[in-house]
Amino acid sequence: MGLTGTYTEQELVTALKAQDDQAFSYLYDHYSGSLFSIILQIVKSPEVAADVLQEVFVNIWRKMESYDPVKGRLFTWMLNISRNASIDMLRSKNYQNSQKNREITDTVYGNDQVTQTSIDSIGLTKFLGKLRPEQRVLIELAYFKGYTHDEISQIEDIPLGTVKTRIRNALLQLREYLK
Amino acid sequence: MNVQEYILSGIVESYVMGIASPEDSADFERMCAAHSEVREARNAFELQLEERLLAQKLDPPRELKSRIFSEIGMEKDENSPRIPLRKPKLVPRIGFAKYVAAASLILLGGSVALNFYLLEQYKKTIAQNKELVDAQTQVAGTNRILQTKLATYENALSLMKDPLMAIVKLPGVPTSPAPLSMATVYWNTYSKDVYLLINQLPRPNADKEYQLWAIVDGKPVDAGVFNLDEGVSFVKLKTIPKAEAFAITMEKKGGSTTPTMEALYVMGKVDG
Repeated sequence: MGLTGTYTEQELVTALKAQDDQAFSYLYDHYSGSLFSIILQIVKSPEVAADVLQEVFVNIWRKMESYDPVKGRLFTWMLNISRNASIDMLRSKNYQNSQKNREITDTVYGNDQVTQTSIDSIGLTKFLGKLRPEQRVLIELAYFKGYTHDEISQIEDIPLGTVKTRIRNALLQLREYLK
Repeated sequence: MNVQEYILSGIVESYVMGIASPEDSADFERMCAAHSEVREARNAFELQLEERLLAQKLDPPRELKSRIFSEIGMEKDENSPRIPLRKPKLVPRIGFAKYVAAASLILLGGSVALNFYLLEQYKKTIAQNKELVDAQTQVAGTNRILQTKLATYENALSLMKDPLMAIVKLPGVPTSPAPLSMATVYWNTYSKDVYLLINQLPRPNADKEYQLWAIVDGKPVDAGVFNLDEGVSFVKLKTIPKAEAFAITMEKKGGSTTPTMEALYVMGKVDG
């Protein structure tokens, strides 16, 4: 189980749906680190990632009522909220402008190396490194950039069926990697 | 495709990771509802993912938790206005600063130009003022001269108008170096003051002066010297109590004790 401490997942969900501050505090303490890590792997900048994480937790609090345990675990739900918020941020004009500035600064000072290295060594990004290049590109576009299979088919100029197959094969390797 | 093949197709991972298409996701949820094996496969993958990802923490900024709690705390209190606590985005202000800098430069340039303009105007004004002062001084000087002349003429006129004034015309003598010369003596019969009006006399040399003589009992008596400098044409000379005639000779500067007869210009008798 991913949970330790005083709550079972069911208890935690019930308390959160009742807007229990203590349960929310527990949720933050136990999940913010790994969600921040995922967000950072997508948006790359720690400052932006912090903004996204704040938005994510506020949304978790607001949307708790709509969480349906039948469709998946609480962490999976929060993970997808985090990923969606990160991709929304990637696509926002503010972010794109700030990235342009960042790229210039990074080129000049190279101070993003540490962050980039630490991102590469964690979680799903590390998994990406284990994939074959043609699979890696597709997972990068689908998971980290949020493109649909149709869009990837157009971007990479490969048939939609091939996109689906390659992504699923890559994800089957992820299952092996996680074991 | 049987259930086992379906589970191993990669749909479980795609769905959990959130990258399955909407149709595939809807399909997967139906399969979960229908088949416990699919549900179990999904749950197993979720747990694997969760365990792995929870082991990969990166600490968010320390103050973030309180920021989040402030934000949701505001929302919980229905009466409180919702204040967005999101850190304001770093919007580049360079555009604004550029305008300010540009405006400053324009203002500075304008100020410098204005200063130069005003300095030039100031210099010009100073010069003009000096010209005016000079002109005024000149006018005042001219005015003083004119005032003096006017006073002299007024004085002369009033003397000539005086009923007690005897008028003695002195025409040029036949032997005069300048026969067309002419002068007039105004002699106050009461005060005995003698004034001379020079009607026509040639300008003497620099070392010479004219001298008026009163003829008293057949003898010439000095009545004073005068020159024609500065356009003087009416002069007061010596007081002569008694005379039969007046004559003018040209003498050495300062006058002589006896007249030089070769230089006799004009002469006239006093009417009995």
